[in-house]
Amino acid sequence: MRSFVRTWLAGGLVILLLLQGRAFAAPAASMSRTDVLAKLCAAGGQDVPSALRQMLDGAVDASAADRDWAKRVVQGFSTRSLRCADDGSAFLTGPGGAVNAATLAPGASPDGLRAPLPSLRTRALLEQLDAALTLFVAPAAADRLAAVHTLERRGDGLPPGLLRHALDAEHDAQIAAGLRGLIVAAGLHSPDIPERLAAIHALGRDPTSQVVTTLATLRADPGYAEPPGVAAALDQELTQARWWVRIGDGLSLAYNGVSAGSVLFLSSVGLAIIFGLMGVINLAQGELIMIGAYATFCVQQAMRSVAPSMLDWYPLVAIPVVFVVTALVGVAMELLVIRHLYRRPLMTLLATWAISLLLVNLVRVGFGTQNLEFQTPSYLTGGVRLVGDFLVTWNHMGAIAFALAAFAVTLALLRLTDIGLFIRTVTQNRAMAGCVGISTRRIDMAAFGFGAGLAGLAGLALSPIYNVNPTMGTGFIIDSFMVVVLGGVGSLFGTAVASLGIGLVNVGIEPFYGAVAAKVVALLLVILLIQRRPEGLIALKGRR
Amino acid sequence: MGFALVGELLSSSDGLGRQIFKSGSLHAISAVMADLIATIVLALLLSGMVVRVARWLRPWRHDLSRCHFLSRTKVDAMRTLTRRSVIATAGAALAAPAIIRPGWAADTVKLGCLFSSSGTMANLEGRMNYVVQMAAAEVNASGGVLGRQIEVVTTNPASDWPTYAQMGRQLLQEQKVAAMFGCWTSVSRKSVLPVVEQNDGLLFYPLHFEGEENSKSVVYLNSPPSSSVLPAVDYLMSADGGSAKRFFMLGSDYVWPRTINKILKAYWAKKGIQPSAWQEQYVPFGFSNFQNLVNQIRSFTSAGGGQPIVVLTVVGSSIPDFLREYTNQGLKPTDIPVLGLDMVEADLEGLNTEGLVGNLNCWAYLQNAPGPRNQAFLANWAAYVKKSGAPYRPDVAIDPMVSAYDGVHLWAAAAKKAGSFDVPEVRKAFGGLTFDCPSGYTIGMTAENNYVSRGVFIGSVNEKQGFDVLWQSKDTPKPVPFSES
Amino acid sequence: MSSVFDRTASAITGLLLVMLIALLLLGHGMPVYLVNLAGQVMCFVLLAMAVDLMWGSAGILSLGHGLFFAIGGYIAAMHLLRTAFAATHVLPDFIQFMGNGGFPGWWALFDSSLFTALAVLVVPALAAFVFGYVSFRSRVNGVYFSIITQALTYTAMLLMFRNDTGFGGNNGMTGFHAIAGLPAGGGDAGVLLASLATAAVLVCLIGGRTLLASRFGRLLAAIRDDEPRLRFLGYNTLWLKLVAWCLSASVAGVAGALYVPQVGIINPSLLDPALSLEVAVWVAVGGRGGLCGAVLGATLINLLRSWMAASAPLLWPFVLSLLVLLVVLALPNGLLDMRNRSRGWMHSLLPAVGRPRP
Repeated sequence: MRSFVRTWLAGGLVILLLLQGRAFAAPAASMSRTDVLAKLCAAGGQDVPSALRQMLDGAVDASAADRDWAKRVVQGFSTRSLRCADDGSAFLTGPGGAVNAATLAPGASPDGLRAPLPSLRTRALLEQLDAALTLFVAPAAADRLAAVHTLERRGDGLPPGLLRHALDAEHDAQIAAGLRGLIVAAGLHSPDIPERLAAIHALGRDPTSQVVTTLATLRADPGYAEPPGVAAALDQELTQARWWVRIGDGLSLAYNGVSAGSVLFLSSVGLAIIFGLMGVINLAQGELIMIGAYATFCVQQAMRSVAPSMLDWYPLVAIPVVFVVTALVGVAMELLVIRHLYRRPLMTLLATWAISLLLVNLVRVGFGTQNLEFQTPSYLTGGVRLVGDFLVTWNHMGAIAFALAAFAVTLALLRLTDIGLFIRTVTQNRAMAGCVGISTRRIDMAAFGFGAGLAGLAGLALSPIYNVNPTMGTGFIIDSFMVVVLGGVGSLFGTAVASLGIGLVNVGIEPFYGAVAAKVVALLLVILLIQRRPEGLIALKGRR
Repeated sequence: MGFALVGELLSSSDGLGRQIFKSGSLHAISAVMADLIATIVLALLLSGMVVRVARWLRPWRHDLSRCHFLSRTKVDAMRTLTRRSVIATAGAALAAPAIIRPGWAADTVKLGCLFSSSGTMANLEGRMNYVVQMAAAEVNASGGVLGRQIEVVTTNPASDWPTYAQMGRQLLQEQKVAAMFGCWTSVSRKSVLPVVEQNDGLLFYPLHFEGEENSKSVVYLNSPPSSSVLPAVDYLMSADGGSAKRFFMLGSDYVWPRTINKILKAYWAKKGIQPSAWQEQYVPFGFSNFQNLVNQIRSFTSAGGGQPIVVLTVVGSSIPDFLREYTNQGLKPTDIPVLGLDMVEADLEGLNTEGLVGNLNCWAYLQNAPGPRNQAFLANWAAYVKKSGAPYRPDVAIDPMVSAYDGVHLWAAAAKKAGSFDVPEVRKAFGGLTFDCPSGYTIGMTAENNYVSRGVFIGSVNEKQGFDVLWQSKDTPKPVPFSES
Repeated sequence: MSSVFDRTASAITGLLLVMLIALLLLGHGMPVYLVNLAGQVMCFVLLAMAVDLMWGSAGILSLGHGLFFAIGGYIAAMHLLRTAFAATHVLPDFIQFMGNGGFPGWWALFDSSLFTALAVLVVPALAAFVFGYVSFRSRVNGVYFSIITQALTYTAMLLMFRNDTGFGGNNGMTGFHAIAGLPAGGGDAGVLLASLATAAVLVCLIGGRTLLASRFGRLLAAIRDDEPRLRFLGYNTLWLKLVAWCLSASVAGVAGALYVPQVGIINPSLLDPALSLEVAVWVAVGGRGGLCGAVLGATLINLLRSWMAASAPLLWPFVLSLLVLLVVLALPNGLLDMRNRSRGWMHSLLPAVGRPRP
């Protein structure tokens, strides 16, 4: 631990010295294009960092044209479209043809050019430089805002004055505020004590574990914390930040649990209808989920060729399609096989196992074994950080929302519609329902189709989270059965409670004993619980 | 039905005569007898089933005939059609083996393949069958080996470990193959190992693996950890590689990741890195929910103490699952790069690699390896896929494919050098063999062990779901089967 | 006695006897892989019989017999590893890379073959007892019992896949050196194991059928038909079911212990719920009850599978699933149903031409 602190102290000192040194150095002359390109192109890549440094320092005073040029070169370099010839000339290739990298004049590029590959260290510098240039040259406010966020992470070693220059030129209020925040934060190592204090408090306003690390390192540095007030400010912000980070950690654990629970719920709600209400052990349930995912894929491909501009909205278009397709598969299963087996539940088990084998192999023959490529819609990628390190990721949020919607719709259908009433009637007393004139056969078919459709929708909702391939369904089946049995057969509420509970237990144990142990413990808990309450958590009263 | 049965019987008895003529052994007789009995039992069984099914289908006709839109004749036609197609399918199933059964010819030598074309490993292993066939075709085109043409016998162990042993035994005892190419996972190799050792066979194993093994019956075509993983980690710890100081090891829970991590920890300890600088986590096979683990990696990233990296040794479908969550939670290669030791192009299929550009892998061959030999290999593969209709992408070549390709050529060279197909002779010829691998290196074997020395590449993910060559070793490091610790 | 040896049972017993004698007399001349195949199939037959013992008679379907099969297998593997270590003094690699200096102390128990044989019989039965006691006592039955047994196997599989559990994780146990003094994987060991497995099947068939024909067997049938009534009549069905359940687990354990030395490896994939489910499929295809169907179904499907694995591997899943669907729909009690046609089962194999329509 001691040596760890010492390393950090040394590191901090070096950074300080570097910063001081830069303050005294004369600002670099405006960037020399040929010089920069020569360094970028040099074999071995040793000179790339200095070239990037040169561009970063030059960006402060450079002309608009130079900044534009720099941005294009930086982007070309990171995407490997900057090509170097052996005679020292360089070209930027693109879909519209090649341009000379120094003059940006169009010119045919010779064949067999070398494309330098940025190393890992260079990539970090490129990210910073690209963001810095974006602040000046990007016309779209969103791009500049993204650049501000990047610089929040990669603000170390920015040339002095760059942020102020950018702030002077900025007219968007939000970005300007962000820039001001960056400037304040950059004052962390300023010799001016009030500036330092402001920076410390600014850091404390958005507490993450990164902030905690930074503050703790500074606090441990006796030279830094020496001036009056600094140590106290550090302590105060540190205590608060630690609290927030802890709260954030708890929240993300809960969020992960809830999202795991909703995935479980989605994969088992169809089964809750089919097994819970109808008593059919459908081992092909996982394969219905898989078919749902494949149907989603087909919709996506269709939209890609028909309406590429609307591609982002394919999940919405897919909802009805997927539901209908899987429901039809379910109805076909019911009509052809399961209908003949209602009196022999253990035989339906075998028959549905055979169907699942058949479906997996049919899909394998039709689509191949590889994972399908899904275009995750923009609104389902990334996330937003709320408290501490707590990140609300949109794809899991999507799963949660979808699970809630599925729950609401299923509940409404069962409780508010005629067909729901009939399904419940048949569930409670099949013979009596038949006597009062309900066509139990038709109800069975409808319920099976509905359950299958729900499974298909689960496939749709899980496609941004899981790998979609022919065997994806097998992973769901045991978990789903456990959820339905634990929740209490025939109880939708039970299914919801059970899936949430299993999800939370699973995720709660995982950080301490690992993922396998978590799953083992959760399963054993369920097995024990069922021994205690064979009817499940929420037992349905009625004759079956 | 009858035709297929007669055909099967004929081909069997034909084979019987020839086999007795050839070997005259009891083995052949009983093998053919078993085939015969199986065929007869099956035929009886299937005909019984067909009759039974036909009878069971009968009531349906009444249902169908009630439909107004179907005329009586049409219903009958449908019924016969069903029946006939059932019979045809059964006949095809019976006739299939007669067609596939490998012929016996004096001027061929057999090589066996032990790669699954069904089950969980099919997507990865399946393509290997084609590569071995392609390499064999190349050798055959240049005149074969010792005047004989190579014949490749493929099997399907169906991703089931004991089946690999059973199939291996059949290849060695029944087909008398001169060498086998096969296995992907460590456990399948371990399952076959006793079989090849007892039958004095030869297995060419194309995957990089945990080392700690040196059987005289296995040729290890790929690198053990000390000569592949350590150079890659060294690079990451250098200034150019970002001066990694802290390590998050995430692996699937089995021997390969655990051994790699054990070797790495010993290596870091030797370099004076404190155990507090690393963290180790294992997940089960097929694990998919990486939410919590990526959370942990995020806090590991921001804990301070130097540049962190992830040493990823999860395998199979867990790789894309992990990468997806990694991007999703906003981690970036510039913050914490991932060194995916088992990551290949196929794992990036289906992912948007924009946020992953810069992550690394490490193999003895990368598709973007420079040099004309690689261009030629890629062109051959693309042409072969097209010609054979293999269900794999013609534009993707991964390391194990090249390893198996090298293996066929190495075997051919060894047999030529030995002047014999006998395993002990071939084995003796291994020392000093070299081959110009598509990777651009001249790979070789020594008399010291059965490992092949290969070059090392570090690849960097690009936007096109592939890997650019970020670094490559100067020459081929000497393989060290056993780690020091 | 006539119910113990009806026509099918006598035919199967005869065939098995012939096979046993053939193995003992001719086994050494046959290719090892064929002997091995026969031995493995016999182990699966034994496993199927274990399932049928519960399902066919008491109507309780276990989807978790892979657990008992694997327990038997692991015990045999531990014994074989100990003997291999005694011969070669090389530690199994999973013990090496987990950083343990040697075998856990209690493994020394498995040095004794007698103890191993006892453990193979007792440990699966004990595991079955614990699980069966809590489940049967809280009257978990029917479909629920099946699902829970499946979950139990699945849990065990997850547990065994962990290297920290100490049984070799995914790579499992391999590297057996000798089986009862014979080199592992060689022809002699193969013949020995295959004959043992065949003998075990014979014993289990005759013993099982005798048991089922006894009063105990009739009580089990009564449980299947109406358990509450039997309970109401004063029988303690809990213990009846438990005895059958533990017996069935022991048989599965023996099957596993004979299977593992033949394939030379054990890893947790034996605990895969898919395998346990497939065993139920074998029984269903053959026909439940009376153990003959189990023998028939397991033999046929396994032979068919290994035959198709060589000739048409990609067709196999289709054939299997269609076969199961046909059996389930057309032959409610499996292939044995063919026997119960009024004109005898041989007749039903003949073409339907000229037969009067029903």
